[in-house]
Amino acid sequence: MYEFNLKGRQIIVVLFLVIAPQFLNAQNLFTKSKAFVLSKTNQVNGSGIYLFGGMDLSKQNISTGSYASAFNYNLSNYSNNAFKPGFFAGLRAQTAYQQNHALSFDMSIHRMSTGTNYKESVTLQPFLGTFSQFKADNLFWMLNTAVHYKQILNITDTSKFKFQLVFGPSLDTRLSAQSEDNIAHSNYHRLVLKGDIGLEFSNRNYYTFFLHYKQGISSFTASPIHTSLNSFDFGMLVKASDFF
Amino acid sequence: MKIINKYIAITALLFIGFNACTKDEKAAELNVTKNMVSDKTWYLDYSVTNNTTKSYVGQTTYFINFLKTGRTNDSDGISGTYQIQKPANMLQVQVTATTVSGTSANYTYDIESVGNQNLILAYTKNGIRTQLYYSTK
Repeated sequence: MYEFNLKGRQIIVVLFLVIAPQFLNAQNLFTKSKAFVLSKTNQVNGSGIYLFGGMDLSKQNISTGSYASAFNYNLSNYSNNAFKPGFFAGLRAQTAYQQNHALSFDMSIHRMSTGTNYKESVTLQPFLGTFSQFKADNLFWMLNTAVHYKQILNITDTSKFKFQLVFGPSLDTRLSAQSEDNIAHSNYHRLVLKGDIGLEFSNRNYYTFFLHYKQGISSFTASPIHTSLNSFDFGMLVKASDFF
Repeated sequence: MKIINKYIAITALLFIGFNACTKDEKAAELNVTKNMVSDKTWYLDYSVTNNTTKSYVGQTTYFINFLKTGRTNDSDGISGTYQIQKPANMLQVQVTATTVSGTSANYTYDIESVGNQNLILAYTKNGIRTQLYYSTK
């Protein structure tokens, strides 16, 4: 009967943001690792630790399949086929560029608000209207971890500006509890696997703007409900050493 | 690869920590049902017996109140207490009440479907199933 309350989650988020940079201490780790190309001019080669933040737009596409429960939810109140805004902040550890490509490891906390697109409905005739026996939660705290491959696009003078194509897998871990409606049937999974693709623009690594699209690969909900959680992330990242 | 190991370690620790929390499913189901049912006046809109639908929409109709305190009363003057239960696979509302004249009036209805505005109760009498469709208007 134990459940994290909001205060507990907030403390964990703050601890994560404070401790993780110390724990990773990636500048040192990168210089010790043979896996990464080293340079004294990180400003050029791009390696190091970055902080980033921004907003996301998210939506759940829901197919309830043969799911049955005693609850009914009028879809005129619950269906919202739109991407809804949230926000996030996190850390990136990035390798140096090697022949125009690099790897980045992202870890971020998202406060995700989602639209809910129900693809199927049921009726309760003779009552009017369309209903669902599943109510999608639409507010989540998520821990996102991602490994991205980055490829510089040679469309500008890359010593000044870099446009990069980014793709790779990411994993969302749901930190927040489910609503009681969903605890009743353990509907939501803890983990969601996603495939990410995006573009990044960096100005001599002083700052980078990015746009990522994240397509849910695994279902966010237990079978027979299939929920694809998709989102767009917009944001900016800067080198952590500019702050610390 | 040290950084990757630490990265995986942090993720695993957070994952294990958050996965350690569960809540009793049955208690949650009963609680959600009670929250949906209680503190509302439910008006009977339709009754369905043997595929025959009788409509009460637009008429003075039977209603029943379920209070958060666990008490109930209806338009027939029956009052008492109620409980939400799930003895087998079906949610039920069990009413223990008395009529205006003091006669005991205990009954149990199956909850076929429950929402914030729509409630379908059902009972079987002499092998005949009757469904009662309530709304909050």
